[in-house]
Amino acid sequence: MGTRFELILGDQGDPTWLRSIGELALEEIRWCHERFNRFSSSSLLTHLRRSKPGSSVRVDRDTFALMRSARDVCHASDGAFDPSGGRAMADLDLDEDHSTITLRGTGIALDFGGIAKGFALDRAASVLREHAVESAFLHGGTSSALGIGTQPGGAGWGVSLSEPRSGSNVFLQDQALSVSAAWRDNPNPTRDPRTKAVIPAPRRVAVVGPTATLADAWSTAALVLGTRPPNLGPEWSVSFA
Amino acid sequence: MSKSRRAFLADTAGALAGISLLPRTLDLAPVRLVEPVRVGLIGAGRQGRAIITELQKLPDVTIGAVCDTSPSRLSSAQARAPGSQAVEDFRAVLDMEDIPAVFVATPTHLHREIVEAAIAAERHVYCEAPVAATVEDCQAIAGAAGASSRVVHAGFQARSNPVYRRAQPLFQTELGNLISMGGHYHHKTSWRFPSTEADGAAAVNWRLDPEVSIGLAGEIGSHQLDVALWFRGTSPSSAHGAGGVRFHRDGRKVPDTVHVDVAWDDGPSFHYEATLANSFGGRYEVFHGSNAAIKLADSHGWLFKEVDAPTQGWEVYATRQQFFQDEGIILVADATKLAAQGRLKDGVGLPYPSLYYALADFLKSVTEGTPVACTAAEGVRSTIVGILANQAVISGSSMDLSILE
Repeated sequence: MGTRFELILGDQGDPTWLRSIGELALEEIRWCHERFNRFSSSSLLTHLRRSKPGSSVRVDRDTFALMRSARDVCHASDGAFDPSGGRAMADLDLDEDHSTITLRGTGIALDFGGIAKGFALDRAASVLREHAVESAFLHGGTSSALGIGTQPGGAGWGVSLSEPRSGSNVFLQDQALSVSAAWRDNPNPTRDPRTKAVIPAPRRVAVVGPTATLADAWSTAALVLGTRPPNLGPEWSVSFA
Repeated sequence: MSKSRRAFLADTAGALAGISLLPRTLDLAPVRLVEPVRVGLIGAGRQGRAIITELQKLPDVTIGAVCDTSPSRLSSAQARAPGSQAVEDFRAVLDMEDIPAVFVATPTHLHREIVEAAIAAERHVYCEAPVAATVEDCQAIAGAAGASSRVVHAGFQARSNPVYRRAQPLFQTELGNLISMGGHYHHKTSWRFPSTEADGAAAVNWRLDPEVSIGLAGEIGSHQLDVALWFRGTSPSSAHGAGGVRFHRDGRKVPDTVHVDVAWDDGPSFHYEATLANSFGGRYEVFHGSNAAIKLADSHGWLFKEVDAPTQGWEVYATRQQFFQDEGIILVADATKLAAQGRLKDGVGLPYPSLYYALADFLKSVTEGTPVACTAAEGVRSTIVGILANQAVISGSSMDLSILE
């Protein structure tokens, strides 16, 4: 995923115990990286892309869930979020009963860069919760973040969306945040996957909701659409700047 | 000031030339077996889950059962191997008639009972390395494997790793006089794991239990020592060690930093250094000779030739690349073919992790009868070196390795 992940564990537990849990959570993030790194010759994603067209590849339940989420948001956003580069995930068959993925063509450009960070945060948060951590803040590259419980002291985990000194304007309590942005003079500007049109810049959108995986996907969709995605549920908040 | 010819040559060449070692054939397609096979996994901790991940990439393999005594690990394993049957007792896996092969990935000190039972049940066995935690258990496993007609494969992955296989003959032909050997493992981590079960912390932290742990020299070092034993083809004679807790002062007795010298009577020692307190440099093995050095780091390997070493014909096909301060040469076997197929974009590392190749080798031995990549006898030999190297670290003295003869 090519970025730095950080964890803050707010519990007042034994530091040795907390360190071991933090290491386990970071290992989960590393495992996500190893699965979805499109630049690695040995990642699961590369294995999928190398697989013979029409052959089914078995994957674990988590990977399957990620693929399903990606497909669902792709369809719900009318292709504004599309890890298949504008093909609306049409070349991807998902068989839930057998937990298999089948690619129907060759040269399919699958890129989960827009969702993998959030997925990794959700997986890491799951590890922390399994070990009864009730207060934690996680982020990947500062653009994807997740808060578990509250900060020591009672408030949600505060995040500033603008200048660092301007104070927090989002408080995450068992919620995730994803920020997507299009900047001026970007040599590789963000494009609408459906039309390949460059997204007007500057544009920035912050999405807050229940999971980091979906927050990542929906913030990308919102950035492309330039408005709140019509099919986004009420549990999600969207703010543009 | 006059310059020696040696110094002039070094300046001219920009020091050593590095040649990247890649397998002759970068086989990107998944390994296919001659027939489908169902397998069972016994032990679903970190290594067990890694095994599941790689087995999923083999189209002819079905994971029929996963086994662990911890309900949470078992649940996690089953989520990674959808469709598998989850059982808590390993004997239940051995009772499944449609599972001819099992992977044993429990804590090291628990291998013996399971491997012996699996062999007695006439199952093919992939036993994770190190093979056992005591010399006695090693000898028992070697004896049981030797008396069995089934495949018993020790999980020293380097022996299946295409990069290491590519390097092994070069160790014989390119190094010249062997000058020194070394292994390095730096990884900043506590080696401590939390447990979701009330009484599970002790069980999952067996690596930190001096009663059963064989420490860094045994758990990690035996894998790296195995490369030296394999390349040399002879057994070392003694091990000397030292170590201590340098950073993780959490009450542990098992050293977090170790230094080991494993000596051969007929050549240089293998110097091994491992720590859990620093990550710089990671994991690698290095072999220095009068003509060249070989550095191996899992999915990558390099040959650094001295400027006065004879040039081999195959080097003509190498591609030059700036390699830190040196001008190196990268050799990508089948590069033209791969480029024509648009596959060079997949990168120049191995297409699969080294664990994948070890698992595939085992299953090919099971289904096709190919030679076992790392036999129980070979695995036991390297494991015993690791066990005794750890005892050398703990005692701070030399250990006699004549037991290997």
